[in-house]
Amino acid sequence: MFNIDMESIDLEKIYDLIVLGGGPAAIGCAIYAARFAMDVLVVGKTFGGLIATTHIVENYPAITSISGQGLMDMFKDHMDSLNIPYISDAIRSIDKVDDHFELHSFFQKFKAYSICISTGTERRKLGVPGEEEFAGRGVSYCATCDGPFFKDKIVCVIGGSDSAAKEALFLAQNTKKVYIIYRGEEIRAEPINKKRVYENDKIEIIYKTKIVEIKGDNTVKSVIFDNGKEFDIDGVFIEIGSTPNSDVAKSIGVETNVKGEIKINRKSETNIPGIFAAGDVADAPFKQAITGVSEGVIAAYSAFDYVKEMNIEY
Amino acid sequence: MSQDDRYKEIIKREMAKLKKPVKLKVFTSQRVQPDGTKIRACMDCGQFMVLLRVYEENSNGMLTIEELSIDDNPEFAKRYDITRVPTILFIDNNGREIIRYLAAPKGGEIQPFIQTIFTFAGMPNYYETTIRQNLDRIPPSTIKIMMTETCPYCPQVIAISNSFAIASEGKIRTVVIDIMANPDIGQYYDAAGVPYTIINDQKTLVGMVGPNEILKALIGGNIRVQY
Repeated sequence: MFNIDMESIDLEKIYDLIVLGGGPAAIGCAIYAARFAMDVLVVGKTFGGLIATTHIVENYPAITSISGQGLMDMFKDHMDSLNIPYISDAIRSIDKVDDHFELHSFFQKFKAYSICISTGTERRKLGVPGEEEFAGRGVSYCATCDGPFFKDKIVCVIGGSDSAAKEALFLAQNTKKVYIIYRGEEIRAEPINKKRVYENDKIEIIYKTKIVEIKGDNTVKSVIFDNGKEFDIDGVFIEIGSTPNSDVAKSIGVETNVKGEIKINRKSETNIPGIFAAGDVADAPFKQAITGVSEGVIAAYSAFDYVKEMNIEY
Repeated sequence: MSQDDRYKEIIKREMAKLKKPVKLKVFTSQRVQPDGTKIRACMDCGQFMVLLRVYEENSNGMLTIEELSIDDNPEFAKRYDITRVPTILFIDNNGREIIRYLAAPKGGEIQPFIQTIFTFAGMPNYYETTIRQNLDRIPPSTIKIMMTETCPYCPQVIAISNSFAIASEGKIRTVVIDIMANPDIGQYYDAAGVPYTIINDQKTLVGMVGPNEILKALIGGNIRVQY
Protein backbone atom coordinates (compact mmCIF):
# COMPACT_ATOMS: atom_id res chain seq x y z
CA MET A 1 0.00 0.00 0.00
CA PHE A 2 1.31 3.44 -0.82
CA ASN A 3 1.75 5.96 1.89
CA ILE A 4 -1.60 7.56 1.15
CA ASP A 5 -1.40 10.16 3.87
CA MET A 6 -0.78 13.26 1.76
CA GLU A 7 -0.37 15.24 4.95
CA SER A 8 3.00 13.55 5.39
CA ILE A 9 4.26 15.06 2.15
CA ASP A 10 5.78 18.51 2.57
CA LEU A 11 5.95 20.26 -0.76
CA GLU A 12 7.80 23.24 0.68
CA LYS A 13 10.79 21.54 2.22
CA ILE A 14 14.04 20.65 0.53
CA TYR A 15 14.26 16.86 0.55
CA ASP A 16 17.64 15.23 1.00
CA LEU A 17 16.84 12.93 -1.88
CA ILE A 18 14.07 12.70 -4.42
CA VAL A 19 13.93 9.43 -6.30
CA LEU A 20 12.32 9.48 -9.73
CA GLY A 21 10.67 6.24 -10.79
CA GLY A 22 8.67 3.42 -9.31
CA GLY A 23 10.52 0.24 -10.17
CA PRO A 24 12.94 -1.92 -8.17
CA ALA A 25 15.90 0.45 -8.64
CA ALA A 26 13.89 3.45 -7.41
CA ILE A 27 12.36 1.68 -4.44
CA GLY A 28 15.65 0.01 -3.50
CA CYS A 29 17.26 3.43 -3.48
CA ALA A 30 14.45 4.95 -1.39
CA ILE A 31 14.55 2.14 1.19
CA TYR A 32 18.29 2.57 1.74
CA ALA A 33 17.99 6.34 1.84
CA ALA A 34 15.28 6.10 4.51
CA ARG A 35 17.52 3.80 6.53
CA PHE A 36 20.28 6.39 6.23
CA ALA A 37 17.75 8.74 7.92
CA MET A 38 17.50 10.88 4.81
CA ASP A 39 14.32 12.82 4.02
CA VAL A 40 13.30 10.95 0.91
CA LEU A 41 10.38 11.26 -1.49
CA VAL A 42 9.59 9.03 -4.45
CA VAL A 43 7.90 10.52 -7.52
CA GLY A 44 6.99 7.98 -10.16
CA LYS A 45 4.70 7.73 -13.13
CA THR A 46 4.29 3.98 -12.77
CA PHE A 47 4.66 2.16 -9.49
CA GLY A 48 6.16 -1.25 -10.10
CA GLY A 49 8.02 -0.42 -13.27
CA LEU A 50 8.43 -2.86 -16.09
CA ILE A 51 8.86 -5.89 -13.85
CA ALA A 52 5.30 -5.51 -12.53
CA THR A 53 4.14 -6.66 -15.94
CA THR A 54 6.23 -9.84 -15.81
CA HIS A 55 4.00 -12.79 -15.00
CA ILE A 56 6.71 -14.78 -13.26
CA VAL A 57 10.08 -13.86 -11.75
CA GLU A 58 12.38 -16.76 -10.96
CA ASN A 59 15.76 -15.07 -10.75
CA TYR A 60 15.41 -12.71 -7.81
CA PRO A 61 17.68 -14.28 -5.17
CA ALA A 62 15.95 -15.70 -2.11
CA ILE A 63 12.59 -15.78 -3.86
CA THR A 64 12.20 -18.95 -5.85
CA SER A 65 9.20 -17.89 -7.86
CA ILE A 66 6.84 -14.92 -7.70
CA SER A 67 4.80 -12.77 -10.05
CA GLY A 68 6.31 -9.42 -10.97
CA GLN A 69 3.34 -7.70 -9.35
CA GLY A 70 3.77 -9.83 -6.22
CA LEU A 71 7.42 -8.86 -6.00
CA MET A 72 6.60 -5.18 -6.30
CA ASP A 73 3.86 -5.56 -3.66
CA MET A 74 6.63 -6.70 -1.34
CA PHE A 75 8.73 -3.67 -2.30
CA LYS A 76 5.68 -1.52 -1.58
CA ASP A 77 5.17 -3.09 1.86
CA HIS A 78 8.84 -2.52 2.70
CA MET A 79 8.62 1.07 1.56
CA ASP A 80 5.46 1.60 3.57
CA SER A 81 7.04 0.14 6.71
CA LEU A 82 9.57 2.96 6.52
CA ASN A 83 6.89 5.61 5.86
CA ILE A 84 8.40 6.61 2.54
CA PRO A 85 5.97 8.83 0.67
CA TYR A 86 5.16 8.10 -2.97
CA ILE A 87 3.53 10.49 -5.44
CA SER A 88 2.13 9.41 -8.79
CA ASP A 89 3.46 12.07 -11.12
CA ALA A 90 6.10 12.61 -13.78
CA ILE A 91 8.87 15.20 -13.52
CA ARG A 92 9.34 17.11 -16.78
CA SER A 93 12.35 19.30 -15.97
CA ILE A 94 15.05 19.86 -13.34
CA ASP A 95 16.91 23.09 -12.55
CA LYS A 96 19.83 23.74 -10.23
CA VAL A 97 19.04 26.58 -7.83
CA ASP A 98 21.76 27.60 -5.34
CA ASP A 99 22.67 24.46 -3.38
CA HIS A 100 19.67 22.37 -4.40
CA PHE A 101 17.62 21.19 -7.35
CA GLU A 102 14.09 22.17 -8.32
CA LEU A 103 12.00 19.52 -9.99
CA HIS A 104 8.96 20.53 -12.01
CA SER A 105 5.95 18.45 -12.89
CA PHE A 106 2.64 19.70 -14.26
CA PHE A 107 1.24 19.55 -10.75
CA GLN A 108 3.92 20.60 -8.28
CA LYS A 109 7.42 21.86 -7.81
CA PHE A 110 9.73 19.87 -5.52
CA LYS A 111 13.09 20.69 -4.04
CA ALA A 112 15.94 18.31 -3.22
CA TYR A 113 19.63 18.38 -2.48
CA SER A 114 20.13 15.20 -4.48
CA ILE A 115 18.23 13.18 -7.06
CA CYS A 116 18.28 9.59 -8.19
CA ILE A 117 16.86 9.12 -11.68
CA SER A 118 15.39 5.63 -12.04
CA THR A 119 12.76 6.35 -14.63
CA GLY A 120 13.18 3.06 -16.46
CA THR A 121 12.24 2.48 -20.03
CA GLU A 122 9.30 2.59 -22.41
CA ARG A 123 8.36 -0.32 -24.62
CA ARG A 124 9.71 0.15 -28.10
CA LYS A 125 7.11 0.45 -30.83
CA LEU A 126 7.17 -1.62 -33.98
CA GLY A 127 6.47 1.43 -36.14
CA VAL A 128 4.25 -0.28 -38.70
CA PRO A 129 0.87 0.76 -40.11
CA GLY A 130 -1.98 -0.38 -37.87
CA GLU A 131 0.06 -0.50 -34.67
CA GLU A 132 -1.26 2.75 -33.28
CA GLU A 133 -4.74 2.32 -34.74
CA PHE A 134 -5.25 -1.05 -33.03
CA ALA A 135 -3.49 -0.29 -29.73
CA GLY A 136 -5.78 -1.65 -27.01
CA ARG A 137 -7.89 -3.35 -29.68
CA GLY A 138 -5.63 -6.29 -30.34
CA VAL A 139 -2.19 -4.69 -30.22
CA SER A 140 -0.64 -4.95 -26.77
CA TYR A 141 2.64 -4.32 -24.99
CA CYS A 142 1.69 -6.16 -21.81
CA ALA A 143 0.68 -9.83 -21.78
CA THR A 144 -0.08 -9.77 -18.04
CA CYS A 145 -2.48 -6.86 -18.56
CA ASP A 146 -4.19 -8.00 -21.72
CA GLY A 147 -3.68 -11.75 -21.92
CA PRO A 148 -7.13 -12.53 -20.42
CA PHE A 149 -8.82 -10.95 -23.45
CA PHE A 150 -7.40 -13.62 -25.73
CA LYS A 151 -8.65 -16.79 -24.11
CA ASP A 152 -8.86 -19.54 -26.75
CA LYS A 153 -7.68 -17.16 -29.45
CA ILE A 154 -4.62 -17.11 -31.67
CA VAL A 155 -1.99 -14.51 -30.87
CA CYS A 156 1.57 -13.68 -31.81
CA VAL A 157 4.49 -12.28 -29.86
CA ILE A 158 6.90 -10.14 -31.83
CA GLY A 159 10.51 -10.40 -30.70
CA GLY A 160 13.12 -12.96 -29.73
CA SER A 161 14.30 -11.86 -26.29
CA ASP A 162 13.88 -13.59 -22.96
CA SER A 163 10.95 -11.25 -22.27
CA ALA A 164 9.30 -12.30 -25.53
CA ALA A 165 9.71 -15.97 -24.59
CA LYS A 166 8.19 -15.34 -21.15
CA GLU A 167 5.27 -13.46 -22.67
CA ALA A 168 4.66 -16.36 -25.06
CA LEU A 169 4.76 -18.88 -22.20
CA PHE A 170 2.29 -16.81 -20.22
CA LEU A 171 -0.06 -16.36 -23.15
CA ALA A 172 0.08 -20.08 -24.00
CA GLN A 173 -1.68 -20.82 -20.71
CA ASN A 174 -5.03 -19.56 -21.98
CA THR A 175 -4.81 -18.95 -25.69
CA LYS A 176 -5.33 -21.51 -28.43
CA LYS A 177 -2.00 -20.87 -30.14
CA VAL A 178 0.96 -18.51 -29.78
CA TYR A 179 3.31 -17.68 -32.63
CA ILE A 180 6.63 -16.06 -31.82
CA ILE A 181 7.61 -13.99 -34.83
CA TYR A 182 11.28 -13.15 -34.82
CA ARG A 183 13.51 -11.59 -37.43
CA GLY A 184 16.59 -13.55 -36.27
CA GLU A 185 17.58 -17.16 -36.64
CA GLU A 186 17.28 -18.27 -33.01
CA ILE A 187 15.48 -16.71 -30.05
CA ARG A 188 17.77 -15.18 -27.40
CA ALA A 189 15.87 -16.30 -24.29
CA GLU A 190 17.60 -17.65 -21.20
CA PRO A 191 18.25 -21.38 -21.72
CA ILE A 192 15.58 -22.38 -19.17
CA ASN A 193 12.89 -20.32 -20.92
CA LYS A 194 14.08 -21.34 -24.38
CA LYS A 195 13.63 -24.97 -23.35
CA ARG A 196 10.15 -24.26 -22.03
CA VAL A 197 9.20 -22.58 -25.29
CA TYR A 198 10.51 -25.46 -27.38
CA GLU A 199 8.63 -27.97 -25.24
CA ASN A 200 5.32 -26.10 -25.32
CA ASP A 201 3.01 -27.55 -27.94
CA LYS A 202 1.00 -24.35 -28.18
CA ILE A 203 4.00 -22.22 -29.15
CA GLU A 204 5.41 -22.10 -32.65
CA ILE A 205 8.31 -19.91 -33.74
CA ILE A 206 8.41 -18.23 -37.13
CA TYR A 207 12.01 -17.17 -37.77
CA LYS A 208 13.55 -14.64 -40.14
CA THR A 209 10.27 -12.81 -40.47
CA LYS A 210 9.21 -9.22 -39.86
CA ILE A 211 5.76 -7.76 -39.62
CA VAL A 212 5.16 -4.84 -41.95
CA GLU A 213 1.49 -4.13 -41.24
CA ILE A 214 -1.27 -4.93 -38.76
CA LYS A 215 -4.77 -5.14 -40.24
CA GLY A 216 -8.30 -5.46 -38.91
CA ASP A 217 -11.71 -3.84 -38.71
CA ASN A 218 -12.73 -2.93 -35.17
CA THR A 219 -10.05 -5.24 -33.76
CA VAL A 220 -6.94 -6.94 -35.11
CA LYS A 221 -7.62 -9.64 -37.69
CA SER A 222 -4.27 -10.27 -39.40
CA VAL A 223 -0.67 -9.22 -39.90
CA ILE A 224 1.31 -8.88 -43.09
CA PHE A 225 4.79 -10.42 -43.18
CA ASP A 226 7.73 -8.93 -45.05
CA ASN A 227 7.40 -11.73 -47.61
CA GLY A 228 3.95 -10.40 -48.45
CA LYS A 229 2.00 -13.21 -46.76
CA GLU A 230 -1.12 -12.27 -44.78
CA PHE A 231 -1.41 -14.20 -41.52
CA ASP A 232 -4.68 -14.39 -39.56
CA ILE A 233 -4.27 -13.48 -35.91
CA ASP A 234 -6.43 -12.15 -33.06
CA GLY A 235 -3.79 -10.40 -30.99
CA VAL A 236 -0.32 -8.95 -31.47
CA PHE A 237 1.97 -8.65 -28.43
CA ILE A 238 4.97 -6.46 -29.17
CA GLU A 239 8.09 -7.26 -27.17
CA ILE A 240 11.01 -5.80 -29.11
CA GLY A 241 12.93 -4.09 -26.34
CA SER A 242 12.62 -0.66 -24.85
CA THR A 243 13.96 2.88 -24.94
CA PRO A 244 15.24 4.74 -21.86
CA ASN A 245 13.13 7.46 -20.25
CA SER A 246 16.02 9.90 -19.99
CA ASP A 247 14.50 13.13 -21.30
CA VAL A 248 14.24 14.64 -17.83
CA ALA A 249 17.92 13.85 -17.21
CA LYS A 250 18.88 15.46 -20.47
CA SER A 251 16.93 18.59 -19.45
CA ILE A 252 19.64 19.43 -16.95
CA GLY A 253 22.58 18.23 -18.98
CA VAL A 254 23.07 14.70 -17.65
CA GLU A 255 25.22 12.80 -20.14
CA THR A 256 23.71 9.88 -22.00
CA ASN A 257 25.15 7.35 -24.46
CA VAL A 258 24.03 6.84 -28.05
CA LYS A 259 21.11 4.71 -26.87
CA GLY A 260 19.94 7.53 -24.60
CA GLU A 261 20.95 5.65 -21.44
CA ILE A 262 22.35 7.73 -18.58
CA LYS A 263 26.07 7.27 -18.11
CA ILE A 264 26.91 6.26 -14.53
CA ASN A 265 30.05 5.16 -12.73
CA ARG A 266 30.39 2.51 -10.04
CA LYS A 267 29.00 4.95 -7.46
CA SER A 268 25.88 5.44 -9.63
CA GLU A 269 27.02 9.02 -10.14
CA THR A 270 26.22 10.93 -13.33
CA ASN A 271 28.33 13.76 -14.70
CA ILE A 272 26.34 16.24 -12.56
CA PRO A 273 27.22 16.28 -8.83
CA GLY A 274 24.14 15.46 -6.78
CA ILE A 275 22.37 13.60 -9.57
CA PHE A 276 22.58 9.83 -9.54
CA ALA A 277 20.96 7.21 -11.75
CA ALA A 278 20.04 3.55 -11.45
CA GLY A 279 18.17 0.77 -13.18
CA ASP A 280 17.13 0.32 -16.78
CA VAL A 281 17.55 4.01 -17.60
CA ALA A 282 21.28 3.78 -16.80
CA ASP A 283 23.96 2.42 -19.11
CA ALA A 284 24.68 -0.89 -17.38
CA PRO A 285 24.94 -3.66 -19.99
CA PHE A 286 22.89 -6.24 -18.06
CA LYS A 287 19.47 -5.01 -17.00
CA GLN A 288 17.74 -7.03 -14.32
CA ALA A 289 15.62 -6.16 -11.28
CA ILE A 290 18.43 -7.26 -9.01
CA THR A 291 21.10 -5.19 -10.81
CA GLY A 292 18.76 -2.20 -10.77
CA VAL A 293 18.30 -2.58 -7.02
CA SER A 294 22.06 -2.76 -6.63
CA GLU A 295 22.60 0.45 -8.59
CA GLY A 296 19.76 2.07 -6.61
CA VAL A 297 21.17 1.26 -3.20
CA ILE A 298 24.62 2.40 -4.31
CA ALA A 299 23.00 5.65 -5.49
CA ALA A 300 21.41 6.06 -2.04
CA TYR A 301 24.78 5.58 -0.38
CA SER A 302 26.45 8.05 -2.75
CA ALA A 303 23.64 10.57 -2.25
CA PHE A 304 24.00 10.16 1.50
CA ASP A 305 27.72 10.97 1.21
CA TYR A 306 27.00 13.88 -1.11
CA VAL A 307 24.41 15.47 1.18
CA LYS A 308 26.52 14.80 4.28
CA GLU A 309 29.39 16.75 2.76
CA MET A 310 27.03 19.67 2.26
CA ASN A 311 26.85 19.81 6.08
CA ILE A 312 23.09 19.47 6.11
CA GLU A 313 21.74 18.25 9.43
CA TYR A 314 19.59 15.16 9.42
CA MET B 1 -0.34 -15.81 5.04
CA SER B 2 -2.68 -16.32 2.10
CA GLN B 3 -3.13 -13.56 -0.46
CA ASP B 4 -6.69 -12.96 0.81
CA ASP B 5 -5.47 -12.65 4.41
CA ARG B 6 -2.75 -10.28 3.24
CA TYR B 7 -5.31 -8.07 1.50
CA LYS B 8 -7.53 -8.08 4.58
CA GLU B 9 -4.54 -6.99 6.64
CA ILE B 10 -3.92 -4.10 4.24
CA ILE B 11 -7.55 -3.00 4.37
CA LYS B 12 -7.53 -3.22 8.17
CA ARG B 13 -4.31 -1.27 8.55
CA GLU B 14 -5.17 1.48 6.07
CA MET B 15 -8.85 1.95 6.89
CA ALA B 16 -7.97 2.46 10.55
CA LYS B 17 -6.27 5.70 9.45
CA LEU B 18 -9.54 7.21 8.15
CA LYS B 19 -10.33 10.21 10.34
CA LYS B 20 -13.33 11.73 8.58
CA PRO B 21 -16.73 10.21 7.85
CA VAL B 22 -17.56 8.93 4.37
CA LYS B 23 -20.80 7.46 3.12
CA LEU B 24 -21.05 5.30 0.03
CA LYS B 25 -24.12 3.94 -1.66
CA VAL B 26 -24.12 0.46 -3.14
CA PHE B 27 -26.87 -0.76 -5.38
CA THR B 28 -27.65 -4.46 -5.28
CA SER B 29 -30.69 -6.55 -6.02
CA GLN B 30 -31.67 -7.35 -2.47
CA ARG B 31 -35.27 -8.49 -2.19
CA VAL B 32 -37.51 -9.15 0.80
CA GLN B 33 -39.06 -12.61 0.78
CA PRO B 34 -42.64 -13.24 1.98
CA ASP B 35 -41.20 -14.58 5.25
CA GLY B 36 -39.34 -11.33 5.81
CA THR B 37 -35.89 -12.61 4.99
CA LYS B 38 -33.76 -10.84 2.41
CA ILE B 39 -32.00 -12.43 -0.53
CA ARG B 40 -29.90 -10.96 -3.31
CA ALA B 41 -30.85 -12.02 -6.82
CA CYS B 42 -27.54 -10.89 -8.27
CA MET B 43 -24.94 -13.65 -8.04
CA ASP B 44 -21.97 -11.36 -7.34
CA CYS B 45 -23.72 -9.04 -4.91
CA GLY B 46 -23.33 -11.22 -1.81
CA GLN B 47 -19.56 -11.54 -2.10
CA PHE B 48 -19.32 -7.93 -3.10
CA MET B 49 -21.10 -6.78 0.05
CA VAL B 50 -18.98 -9.08 2.25
CA LEU B 51 -15.90 -7.39 0.80
CA LEU B 52 -17.26 -3.89 1.35
CA ARG B 53 -18.20 -4.71 4.93
CA VAL B 54 -14.50 -5.49 5.56
CA TYR B 55 -13.73 -1.88 4.65
CA GLU B 56 -16.59 -0.61 6.78
CA GLU B 57 -15.88 -2.73 9.84
CA ASN B 58 -12.24 -1.66 9.95
CA SER B 59 -12.86 2.05 9.61
CA ASN B 60 -13.58 2.88 13.27
CA GLY B 61 -17.09 3.84 12.26
CA MET B 62 -15.88 6.41 9.73
CA LEU B 63 -17.09 4.58 6.62
CA THR B 64 -20.76 3.84 6.15
CA ILE B 65 -21.88 1.57 3.33
CA GLU B 66 -25.55 1.95 2.52
CA GLU B 67 -26.91 -0.97 0.56
CA LEU B 68 -29.85 -0.05 -1.62
CA SER B 69 -31.91 -2.41 -3.68
CA ILE B 70 -32.85 -1.31 -7.17
CA ASP B 71 -36.24 -2.92 -6.55
CA ASP B 72 -36.92 -1.03 -3.34
CA ASN B 73 -35.52 2.28 -4.60
CA PRO B 74 -36.63 2.54 -8.23
CA GLU B 75 -36.75 6.34 -8.26
CA PHE B 76 -33.29 6.70 -6.79
CA ALA B 77 -32.00 4.06 -9.19
CA LYS B 78 -33.58 5.92 -12.06
CA ARG B 79 -32.17 9.24 -10.92
CA TYR B 80 -28.64 7.83 -10.94
CA ASP B 81 -29.21 5.67 -14.00
CA ILE B 82 -28.38 2.41 -12.27
CA THR B 83 -28.58 -0.22 -14.98
CA ARG B 84 -26.46 -3.00 -13.45
CA VAL B 85 -25.65 -4.34 -10.02
CA PRO B 86 -23.59 -4.20 -7.98
CA THR B 87 -22.75 -0.52 -8.44
CA ILE B 88 -20.92 1.67 -5.93
CA LEU B 89 -21.58 5.41 -6.00
CA PHE B 90 -19.59 8.24 -4.46
CA ILE B 91 -22.13 11.06 -4.22
CA ASP B 92 -21.09 14.51 -2.99
CA ASN B 93 -22.97 16.78 -0.59
CA ASN B 94 -24.80 18.37 -3.50
CA GLY B 95 -26.16 15.03 -4.65
CA ARG B 96 -23.80 14.85 -7.61
CA GLU B 97 -22.37 11.52 -8.61
CA ILE B 98 -18.58 11.86 -8.61
CA ILE B 99 -17.39 8.29 -8.97
CA ARG B 100 -19.08 5.07 -10.04
CA TYR B 101 -17.58 1.62 -9.56
CA LEU B 102 -18.71 -1.27 -11.72
CA ALA B 103 -15.86 -3.23 -10.22
CA ALA B 104 -15.04 -4.94 -6.96
CA PRO B 105 -12.32 -3.17 -4.94
CA LYS B 106 -10.20 -6.25 -4.38
CA GLY B 107 -6.62 -7.31 -5.15
CA GLY B 108 -4.69 -4.52 -6.79
CA GLU B 109 -7.78 -2.30 -6.70
CA ILE B 110 -7.74 -2.02 -2.92
CA GLN B 111 -5.12 0.73 -2.95
CA PRO B 112 -6.88 3.17 -5.33
CA PHE B 113 -10.21 2.48 -3.65
CA ILE B 114 -8.89 3.35 -0.20
CA GLN B 115 -7.03 6.35 -1.59
CA THR B 116 -10.30 7.50 -3.19
CA ILE B 117 -12.21 7.08 0.08
CA PHE B 118 -9.61 9.19 1.90
CA THR B 119 -9.57 11.91 -0.74
CA PHE B 120 -13.37 11.91 -0.88
CA ALA B 121 -13.35 12.35 2.91
CA GLY B 122 -11.44 15.58 2.43
CA MET B 123 -7.85 14.51 2.90
CA PRO B 124 -5.33 16.56 0.89
CA ASN B 125 -5.56 15.91 -2.83
CA TYR B 126 -2.23 16.20 -4.63
CA TYR B 127 -3.81 17.16 -7.97
CA GLU B 128 -6.37 19.63 -6.58
CA THR B 129 -4.49 22.89 -7.20
CA THR B 130 -3.78 22.19 -10.84
CA ILE B 131 -7.27 20.82 -11.50
CA ARG B 132 -8.82 23.97 -9.98
CA GLN B 133 -6.48 26.21 -12.00
CA ASN B 134 -7.58 24.51 -15.21
CA LEU B 135 -11.23 23.96 -14.31
CA ASP B 136 -12.53 26.72 -16.62
CA ARG B 137 -10.94 24.89 -19.55
CA ILE B 138 -12.35 21.47 -18.74
CA PRO B 139 -15.82 20.73 -20.16
CA PRO B 140 -18.19 18.58 -18.08
CA SER B 141 -16.49 15.23 -18.50
CA THR B 142 -16.82 11.54 -17.86
CA ILE B 143 -13.70 9.41 -17.64
CA LYS B 144 -14.38 5.71 -18.14
CA ILE B 145 -11.56 3.43 -17.08
CA MET B 146 -11.67 -0.18 -18.21
CA MET B 147 -9.65 -2.41 -15.91
CA THR B 148 -9.00 -6.00 -15.01
CA GLU B 149 -7.91 -7.51 -11.71
CA THR B 150 -4.55 -8.60 -13.12
CA CYS B 151 -3.58 -5.31 -14.73
CA PRO B 152 -0.67 -3.75 -12.79
CA TYR B 153 -1.15 -0.28 -14.26
CA CYS B 154 -4.91 0.04 -13.74
CA PRO B 155 -4.81 0.99 -10.03
CA GLN B 156 -2.68 4.04 -10.78
CA VAL B 157 -4.87 5.35 -13.60
CA ILE B 158 -7.94 4.82 -11.41
CA ALA B 159 -6.41 6.61 -8.41
CA ILE B 160 -5.42 9.60 -10.53
CA SER B 161 -8.76 9.86 -12.34
CA ASN B 162 -10.74 9.57 -9.12
CA SER B 163 -8.61 12.28 -7.51
CA PHE B 164 -9.29 14.51 -10.53
CA ALA B 165 -13.04 13.92 -10.17
CA ILE B 166 -13.03 14.73 -6.47
CA ALA B 167 -11.06 17.95 -7.08
CA SER B 168 -13.28 19.08 -9.95
CA GLU B 169 -16.31 20.27 -8.00
CA GLY B 170 -18.62 17.99 -9.95
CA LYS B 171 -17.26 18.78 -13.38
CA ILE B 172 -15.49 15.47 -13.86
CA ARG B 173 -17.04 12.08 -13.17
CA THR B 174 -15.24 8.77 -13.33
CA VAL B 175 -16.62 5.34 -14.02
CA VAL B 176 -14.43 2.37 -13.10
CA ILE B 177 -15.38 -0.71 -15.10
CA ASP B 178 -14.14 -4.24 -14.56
CA ILE B 179 -14.12 -5.33 -18.15
CA MET B 180 -14.19 -9.03 -17.26
CA ALA B 181 -17.29 -8.61 -15.09
CA ASN B 182 -18.88 -6.34 -17.70
CA PRO B 183 -17.73 -7.80 -21.04
CA ASP B 184 -20.54 -6.12 -22.96
CA ILE B 185 -19.08 -2.70 -22.13
CA GLY B 186 -15.65 -3.82 -23.29
CA GLN B 187 -17.11 -5.15 -26.50
CA TYR B 188 -19.05 -1.95 -27.07
CA TYR B 189 -15.79 -0.01 -27.03
CA ASP B 190 -13.78 -2.80 -28.76
CA ALA B 191 -11.42 -2.75 -25.79
CA ALA B 192 -8.97 -5.65 -25.71
CA GLY B 193 -6.35 -4.01 -23.54
CA VAL B 194 -6.19 -2.31 -20.18
CA PRO B 195 -6.05 0.23 -18.75
CA TYR B 196 -8.28 1.60 -21.48
CA THR B 197 -9.35 5.12 -20.64
CA ILE B 198 -12.11 6.87 -22.53
CA ILE B 199 -12.74 10.59 -22.16
CA ASN B 200 -16.29 11.69 -22.96
CA ASP B 201 -16.73 8.71 -25.29
CA GLN B 202 -14.43 10.47 -27.75
CA LYS B 203 -10.75 10.25 -26.86
CA THR B 204 -9.12 6.98 -25.92
CA LEU B 205 -5.93 6.61 -23.92
CA VAL B 206 -4.46 3.13 -24.11
CA GLY B 207 -2.12 1.66 -21.52
CA MET B 208 -0.50 3.39 -18.58
CA VAL B 209 -1.01 7.13 -18.72
CA GLY B 210 0.20 9.70 -16.23
CA PRO B 211 -1.83 12.51 -14.66
CA ASN B 212 -0.53 15.07 -17.16
CA GLU B 213 -1.71 12.97 -20.11
CA ILE B 214 -5.19 12.53 -18.63
CA LEU B 215 -5.48 16.23 -17.83
CA LYS B 216 -4.30 17.23 -21.31
CA ALA B 217 -6.92 14.95 -22.82
CA LEU B 218 -9.60 16.53 -20.61
CA ILE B 219 -8.55 20.07 -21.52
CA GLY B 220 -7.85 19.33 -25.15
CA GLY B 221 -4.73 21.49 -24.90
CA ASN B 222 -1.79 22.37 -22.74
CA ILE B 223 -1.98 22.42 -18.95
CA ARG B 224 -1.89 25.79 -17.22
CA VAL B 225 0.75 25.52 -14.52
CA GLN B 226 1.03 27.94 -11.59
CA TYR B 227 2.85 26.65 -8.56
